[in-house]
Amino acid sequence: MKKTGKLTFFIVAAFILLFTASTVAGFDYFYGDNKTTVVKGVDDIRLGIDIQGGVDVTFAPADGYDATDEQLDAATEIIKARLGALGINDNELYSEYKSDRIIVRFPWQAGESEFDAQAAVKELGEMAQLTFRKGTDTETDEEGNIYPTGEIVLTGGDIESANYVNRPDSSGNYEWVVTLKFKESGKDAFTAATAELAGTGTPMSIWMDNTMISAPTVNEVITKDSAEINGHFDNESSKKLADQINSGALPFKMETTSFQTISSTMGKGSLDAILLAAYIAFAFIAVYMIILYRLPGFVAVLAIIGQIAGTLAAVTGWFGFMPGSTLTIPGIAGIILSVGMGVDANIITGERIKEEIRSGKTLDSAIKVAYKRAFSAILDGNITNVIIAVILMGAFGVPSSFFSKILNKTVFFMFGATTEGVVYSFGFTLLVGVICNFVFGVFAARLMVTSLSKFKAFRSRKLYGGVEK
Amino acid sequence: MSMIKKKKNTQSQLPSVTENARNFCGQKRTILVIAICVILALIAGVIIRGVNLAIEFDGGTILNYTYQGDLDTNKVKSETEKIVATPVTVRTGESLDSDDLQLNISFTTDEGFNADKQFALTEALNEAFPENSLELYDSKDVSPSSGREFLLKCLVAMILAAVLIIIYIAVRFKKIGGWSAGICSIFALCHDLVAALAASVICGFEFNANIVAVILTILGYSINNTIVIYDRIRENRTLYPKATLNELINLGCTQSLKRSLRTSITTIGTMVVVSVVVLISGYTSLLSFSVPLIFGLISGTYSSLFVAPVTWSWWMGKKAKKSKKA
Repeated sequence: MKKTGKLTFFIVAAFILLFTASTVAGFDYFYGDNKTTVVKGVDDIRLGIDIQGGVDVTFAPADGYDATDEQLDAATEIIKARLGALGINDNELYSEYKSDRIIVRFPWQAGESEFDAQAAVKELGEMAQLTFRKGTDTETDEEGNIYPTGEIVLTGGDIESANYVNRPDSSGNYEWVVTLKFKESGKDAFTAATAELAGTGTPMSIWMDNTMISAPTVNEVITKDSAEINGHFDNESSKKLADQINSGALPFKMETTSFQTISSTMGKGSLDAILLAAYIAFAFIAVYMIILYRLPGFVAVLAIIGQIAGTLAAVTGWFGFMPGSTLTIPGIAGIILSVGMGVDANIITGERIKEEIRSGKTLDSAIKVAYKRAFSAILDGNITNVIIAVILMGAFGVPSSFFSKILNKTVFFMFGATTEGVVYSFGFTLLVGVICNFVFGVFAARLMVTSLSKFKAFRSRKLYGGVEK
Repeated sequence: MSMIKKKKNTQSQLPSVTENARNFCGQKRTILVIAICVILALIAGVIIRGVNLAIEFDGGTILNYTYQGDLDTNKVKSETEKIVATPVTVRTGESLDSDDLQLNISFTTDEGFNADKQFALTEALNEAFPENSLELYDSKDVSPSSGREFLLKCLVAMILAAVLIIIYIAVRFKKIGGWSAGICSIFALCHDLVAALAASVICGFEFNANIVAVILTILGYSINNTIVIYDRIRENRTLYPKATLNELINLGCTQSLKRSLRTSITTIGTMVVVSVVVLISGYTSLLSFSVPLIFGLISGTYSSLFVAPVTWSWWMGKKAKKSKKA
């Protein structure tokens, strides 16, 4: 086995401190007024809406209508477009086919004091006004809202369906196109309009409410009940346009099945209170550990700092390979639980070192044996917590997340997606915290204690809770 | 060569299995009677106080408005009931973070009270009380069906966790009879959950999302506590191959006593700090997390040291007797 030398302590301790500093402070620089964030710090943590306040709402088709997947996609596009129109760009949006639910969460937008959440959410769920118009003319009213003024050719009700297909063009190259099928009611109006616009260069624009979603030019007169829009689409953009056009023909509106607004001051106050409690509790634990276990206690404090930093780093997205997460109040409870597990791991080993030293072993072998024997208990205790964390992330995660995909298709098949993303956050911080516990509380702590024990100054058995021989 | 010598050395230094060990298993009756009495007393307390399910689970609507001037709550009640068509509770209070006055309207409807209806209600109230400049502060609406679904999903998640943990313990502790050990650890866990939930009910907190976090936290701690002791028993089994199970349990519990108490002091201490800070700062919504957790942790310390190992010893004793008879 690799020898742990005197230098090891300094390397590990320096690593922990540097890691902690970079996680807390982050790293960004200003070029003129542009801030470039290289590494996200704690200030950049995305706080859940239970802390910073905001809106959490679940929509479902009104009157229990059983929507098809295409219809739900169309409804999702409506809500997406409306969020954009309302200026709510910082939002989370999930749709779930099985239970026909659409979940939307967004924090209060900065500087929005007059925001009417009830009115906004009511608007999100309303049926979309889809119009095909001649030209792309718009006007702006006194309040600064832009709305289209071109003559209406068709409305959403005139459209049977829109689809996106990949088919070869006249020269045999495959391309993505959006195909439209009209109802009887729309066929003649469309033919007349294409006759007027063909060859003029004036486009036929398509609007969802007051947002223009496409403005194709008309190449030829269309007399059939179907048409095609082409031009540099890919799979994604053609699907989006088809969904948007379908939204105009949805036979239902979306209603809220759960709707929560959270004031921005309440959560902030709770966060400050928790942080204060966390500082006090940490100071208490640090003093307690050092008094009880002396040198291993001191190392434990370093390890716990590393563990907390590791968990926060996962939340901010410090590790490039995994995206960050939102921090909610249950998420903080998850951190507290994992730190408790970390303290426990250090208490187990601290007790073990004392015990082995008192049984008469030499210092070196006592430390070695103690870490070895303590590990199985720490492993089993932490693995059970991993089991709990993974179940929570699966059961309460957003429909697209990894664990959720596995569990929701098996154990939780009879349930729909829930809005309780807060429980997911608990699972996330617990899982990451437990992993960090292995890295810092077990591995790094052992390296540090073993390394320190090589120094002459730290060879006194008293420093490890034993008695001098 | 030196390795072999060392091993011999440790073996010769082993104290006998009964030396220094407290007799936990001998106190079987006392331990279980205390546990059962406490559980029964708590359940009685719950029955007397009645469980108060929050709207996350039960469905319902709470709307908080800030307002200015004087407001006639009876008139608010009658105006709201006109629109809602069910009995409504109206209260007024002062906001925590500003000097604003707050109006709290709550009610339960069969289908939930969606955003459209809420919007209409706010309009109507503003029309009826134009001088009070009502503004929405926060709100919550859950339809009864999605509330029940959330409750059910939490239950299924917990049962799944329990089953997987039993399987894990059964595999890892095969050497000392894993299945029964796993089931006894879940029994101890139930003991702790009852303690925490009952404490929450008796203190008058309603069951809300915080209680889910409490249950999850206790799930983690309680099982971890029990496993640390099982681990010691498993290790002692290798060291003392000839000792009886009760002797091993007694020794394992004695060896783990200090660690259990010390870990509990840090975790319970942390939650006491949280409770005190939250009480002083006034953001009391977190109390329904920290206070039940304190009770759960105290119970967890007791149950992992006493209830789980002793129940397990009793179970194995029964099994041994049975096989002897047969």
